[in-house]
This record gives sequence, structure tokens and C-alpha cells, in this order.
Amino acid sequence: MIERREKLFSYLVLGPFAIVLAFPFYWMLWTSFKSDIDLYNVNDVPFAFGKGSPTTRNYGFLFHHTQYLTWVKNTAFVGIVVVLITLALALPAGYALTRLAGRWGQNVGVGIFLTYLVPPTLLFLPMSWVIAHAGLQDRLLSLIIVFPSFTVPFSTWLLMGFFKTIPLELEDAALVDGASRLKTLLHVVFPISVPGILTVVIFSFSLVLNDFVYALAFITTSSAKTISTGVSTELIRGDVFYWQALMAATLIPSIPLALLYNAFLNRFIAGFTGGAFR
Amino acid sequence: MTDDRPRVDITKAEDEVTRSQLLRRAAAGAIVLVYGGFGAKTAVAGAPNFRGKELKGTLKILQWSHFVPAYDGWFDNQYTKRWGQANDTDIIVDHVNQADLPARVAAEAAAGKGHDLVALLAPAPQYEDRVIDHKEIVQEVRHKRGKMADVCYRSAYNPKTKKFHGFPDFYAPDPVDYRTDLWGQVGLKPDTWDHVLKAAPKLRQMGHPVGIGMSNEIDSNMAMMALMMCFGSFIQSSKARVTLNSKATREALTFGRDLFRKGMSNEIFAWTAASNNQGMLAGRLSLALNAISIPRSAESTNPDLAKTIGLLPIPKGPHGRLGLEHVMHTYMIWKFASNKKMAVKFLVELEIKYRGAFEASKFYNFPSFPASVQNIPVRLGRDPHPPAGKYKILQTISQKYTKNVGYPGYSNAAIGEIFDTFLIPQMFAEVAQGKRTPDDAARDYQRRIGTVFEKWRKRGKI
Repeated sequence: MIERREKLFSYLVLGPFAIVLAFPFYWMLWTSFKSDIDLYNVNDVPFAFGKGSPTTRNYGFLFHHTQYLTWVKNTAFVGIVVVLITLALALPAGYALTRLAGRWGQNVGVGIFLTYLVPPTLLFLPMSWVIAHAGLQDRLLSLIIVFPSFTVPFSTWLLMGFFKTIPLELEDAALVDGASRLKTLLHVVFPISVPGILTVVIFSFSLVLNDFVYALAFITTSSAKTISTGVSTELIRGDVFYWQALMAATLIPSIPLALLYNAFLNRFIAGFTGGAFR
Repeated sequence: MTDDRPRVDITKAEDEVTRSQLLRRAAAGAIVLVYGGFGAKTAVAGAPNFRGKELKGTLKILQWSHFVPAYDGWFDNQYTKRWGQANDTDIIVDHVNQADLPARVAAEAAAGKGHDLVALLAPAPQYEDRVIDHKEIVQEVRHKRGKMADVCYRSAYNPKTKKFHGFPDFYAPDPVDYRTDLWGQVGLKPDTWDHVLKAAPKLRQMGHPVGIGMSNEIDSNMAMMALMMCFGSFIQSSKARVTLNSKATREALTFGRDLFRKGMSNEIFAWTAASNNQGMLAGRLSLALNAISIPRSAESTNPDLAKTIGLLPIPKGPHGRLGLEHVMHTYMIWKFASNKKMAVKFLVELEIKYRGAFEASKFYNFPSFPASVQNIPVRLGRDPHPPAGKYKILQTISQKYTKNVGYPGYSNAAIGEIFDTFLIPQMFAEVAQGKRTPDDAARDYQRRIGTVFEKWRKRGKI
């Protein structure tokens, strides 16, 4: 009885939260199937389909009249490479600052994190100069080089917190048994750091997906754009917004990301809260 | 006797590739080719644009995504291709959403590298030192097509430095878009601001408020500045002296406050560049100040609604009928552009024969040199969408009622900064929301705008 009451209480608390959080996705999905005449009919918005709806024309427009698939491909490519670079830099940095750098490691970690707080809206002008003089304008390589400037600091700081939760005795045992530091890392530390690593992967990929300013400042060629800038160029024409196609374009990449989050939810939470309760 | 030595198959070469090796190498080659493209743009660029021709140069252009998709199709795939072929030049046209263009242009200015030609929707005199003097283009077109429209001349010319800081190829007249059926029901026409104020409460009661933005965006800027001018209130004099703190400004602010209270809704403080269009297309608004993108969009999405959208010049105020352009599409050639000569030639030839652009834009693009398109009234009258002759009013608006931002002065750098920081709609919003009295707002904004003018005066730009 008490258990049932607790369950009911948790549903009552979580239900409204879930509805509020899921509502934008519902809105996006619904809008993406609306016809123009229906979308702009205030009596139909948003809970019913009116004249000409539902229609798949907006998806047809997105896939056949814009370079949407190219932007998705570009975003995925940049995202994967940036995640790999981030892991390659943040994992050893986070470990070294936690275990090897002694007392000042923590301060350096905070210092690294502070660089993450400098907003891209301040940095994009000097960064544009650097990218232009490196001859990387209009190339995805420019994003691959610049994005780690904000994914690595955050990930390093996050992993530092996570590595602190791993008992030192585990590593000592491996070292006593004759394993090298590298072997200890690869066979002991990293396998039990999977929640932290997954958090870094998902978070870094989300940051890449969300970036707009750098993508706008560095790339204007349509075929080299990522989703964020490609969509706003082709689906916002002057003061006319193609709302339905915009909704479809933003909903599509959010689905795999949401599935990824859900699949690893527990590990993701563990990764974020890893350093919090030590 | 048997030979135990290992046999060598002489039909196989030592370095023969097995099938699996071949596949592996092919895959590796494909990856290098495809992803090499991410590193070097031309790695898989394909065949040259013009067969059998080694092109002399490249011209890179950056501009907005036109609200008429067919215009971009015409410009990117027809006009520039033909022009490029004739001039032995590969033209690359990149587009960015209009709201994001200023940031991208700022990035190019900071980097000192980018496109040869960039176009903004308003003059950008702040870049005067970074761009060439466009006088040569103006003179050449003038030689062939006569005088430049005054609104364009005053938007691109700096009388202090005697330089053209940009070249506007077109501007868009800014009519009033109103619902003829709804206004018919209240028995008025929005031809004076007094009529707008009288009809607004009734229209709002009918569920169709007036929609004129007071927010940080381009349409609110244009609407509020135009409203001020109709009341005789000007930001500056013809000699670039700040003249905001005047009786006329206070009257305009009072009018704006009354109009909001009697006939608009809170939405106007969160107005965006899309709000006019969305409000009218949803059938909710009874009036908006916008270029012709509203009726044009309605013609393709809701033809019945389109028939009820009428166009008029800016309503008449105590000082007369003074409107602004909706858009001043201004090209700039960077000093660092790698193909300046070709950029100049391109702009001259685009302007001299502007008919194609005028028609492809569905009459949105009005040429900066009126003689560049022959028989504009006849062409406007030929538009097939009902009611017949709806667009003919654009000619009257463009000739009589379209002034530049900063009128009666020039669109100088101070005006540009005031425009970019949305000081005028902010002033109106503060008064409409009751945060300030018209007296207080006019005084304070005179001081703030004075500081901006002082800054640019010190820099020798005004």
C-alpha cells in the first residue's frame, strides 16, 4: 500500500516534468506534418490537423530541395572526430591532474574549466582571424580544430571529478603486481571509468551539434555547412520562415541523441555525479 | 627421383594483389578521395565549370537567402553562370540567413579574408575604412543609366569623406499591408495615422489587432523611424546634428503609446522579422508595415487571404507622409578582396541590366538606378494576382515616400550604430510600457544618441 502510494506520488511529481520536457518534441513532430494553410490557421494550432494536413511534403522539401543529408553527414563527421580528439586529450589530462599533479592539479583543473566559460560570441572574431590565416576557411577542418577548445576543458574537468571516485588502492594493486602506469590506465582505470567516458562522448557530441557561431563564422559554402547553419540558411529566407521543414530538420538529429541519452541514462548520471559525493 | 624443392608458380608475380587486398586498397583510396575533400575543397571538385576553358579567376559573393527562392535560383544558377562564362570567371555565391549576415561579415572583417563581395540589408558605413571607394561603380552606372535614386545615394555616400562606402543594387519599398475586408468593416482606410489610431480599438475588439513592432529587430526599426518622420521628428538634421529631443518626438512617442494601449498587444515587444508575415498569414493582424513578402507568401500559400491584403503608402501624419525603405541591399568590396576589378565589373553590369533581377524577385528588388528597368509601372500592372494592379502602388511609394534611414541627413556611421543597436524601438517600447514619459525618453535618448554621434565625429566619419 505504502509502495503504491510512493509510486503514485513520484508519478504526480514527475508527470508534469515529463510533459513539459517532452512538449517541444511533440510540437515539432506535429508541426512538421502540417500544411501551410493549416499551420497559419489559429483555430487549428496546435492540437489538430486541419486543411491539407497531415502531409509529408515538408519532409520531401527538406530532403529533395535542400542539402540536408549533406549537413547531417558533415555534422556527424565533425562530431565523431571531435569526440575522438576530446577523449584523446581529456582522458590523460584529467587523470594526470587528478593523480599525478599533486595539490596544484586541482587549481590547474579549475583554470582549464574557466577557459570553457569564455563565450564563443567573444572568441569567434579572433578565431576567424586564426582560421583565415591558417587557410582553413570553408573547410570542416576548421571546426574540427576549434571545437575541442571548448569540449576538452569541460571534459577534463568532468573526468577529474570522476577519476577521484576510483579508489587509489586498485591502481596500487595493479602497480604492485608489476603493471606499468599505462597498463594500469588501460586495464584498470579506463574500464571502470566507462560512465565518465560515455558522459564525455555524449556531452561533446551535443556541444558540437549545438554550435552555431563558429560554424557561421568559418563556413559559408552550402555543401560544407553543418545542420545548425545549413538549416537556418535554407529554411529562413528573408523574413519568411519555413516552420514545418525547420521543425523536421531539428527533430531528426534529436531522435538518435535522445535514444543515446536514454540507453546510457544511468551511466550518464553516474558520470556527472561521479565526483560529487566523494 | 623426386624434386622436393618448393615450387614457384611463374605465372604469379611476387607483388600480386589478392582480392581482399585489392578491396582494402580500394576502400582506403576512396576514403582518401572522399575525406580529402573535407581537407581540400577542390580534391573532389569534379569537372571544370566551363568545358575546355581555363578560367582566369574566381569571384566569391556572400549575400542573404532571398525571400523569393526563385530569385536565388535565377541569380545563382542563371545570371552569375552566364556572366561568369562571358567574363571567364568562376562565380561562387554563398548565402546566409539575413539575421546572421552581420556576424559573418564582422568575422570576415576581423580575419581580413573572405568573399570578394558581401551584401548586407542595410548600409554599413562602419566598414568604410575596410572597403574600397565604390564611386567608380556609381559613376559608370550613372553614365549609362542616369541618376541614382536619392534614397540609395544618401544611404551609400559619406559627404564628409566623399566616399561611397557601399553600392546598393536595390532597395525594397516599404508599404502598409492591411486587410481590406476588416478595415472595410470599420469603415476606414489606413491612409493617415489618425485613422489607424481610430480603427485600432475596433479591430482589436474584432480579434484583429494592428501589428507594428517595438522590439530589437529590423522591421521595428524601420516602422518606428518612419512613424517619427511622419510626425516631424528626426534623429539628425541635414548637417548631422542630433535633433531628437523635440516636440515632434514627444508627440510621436505619445502616439506610439496610445496606439499600443488602444489597438495592439504585448506581442509587439517580442516582435521578430517574421512576426509581420506570420501575423498577417495567420489572418490575425489587420495591419503591418512590411515589404511585399506578406502578399507574395499569401499568394502561394493562401490565395483567398491574398485577395484581401491591400497595399498603401505609409499613413500620413502631422508632418506628412515620410516612409523608409524596407531593405537597402548594399554590396561592399573589401580592400582585401582578391578580385576587386572583376567585382567592380560585376556590380556595374548587374545594375545596368536590372530587369531580370526585378522580375525574378517578384518586384521586391527596386533598382537603385530607376532607369535600369524600363516601364516599371507597366510591369507592376501586369502582375496576374488579384486584385488587378495591386502592386502599382509600389512605384508611387518608391518615388514619393521612400527616404533613407537618417533622413534628412545621410545614413552615416552614427545612424548605422543607432540602427544596429535598436535605440529607436527601445525608446518607443519604454514609453509604451509606461516605464518613461515621452519627455523623459526624448531627453535621455537625445543624450545617448549624442554620444554615438560624438564618437563617430571624433573618428572623422561625420
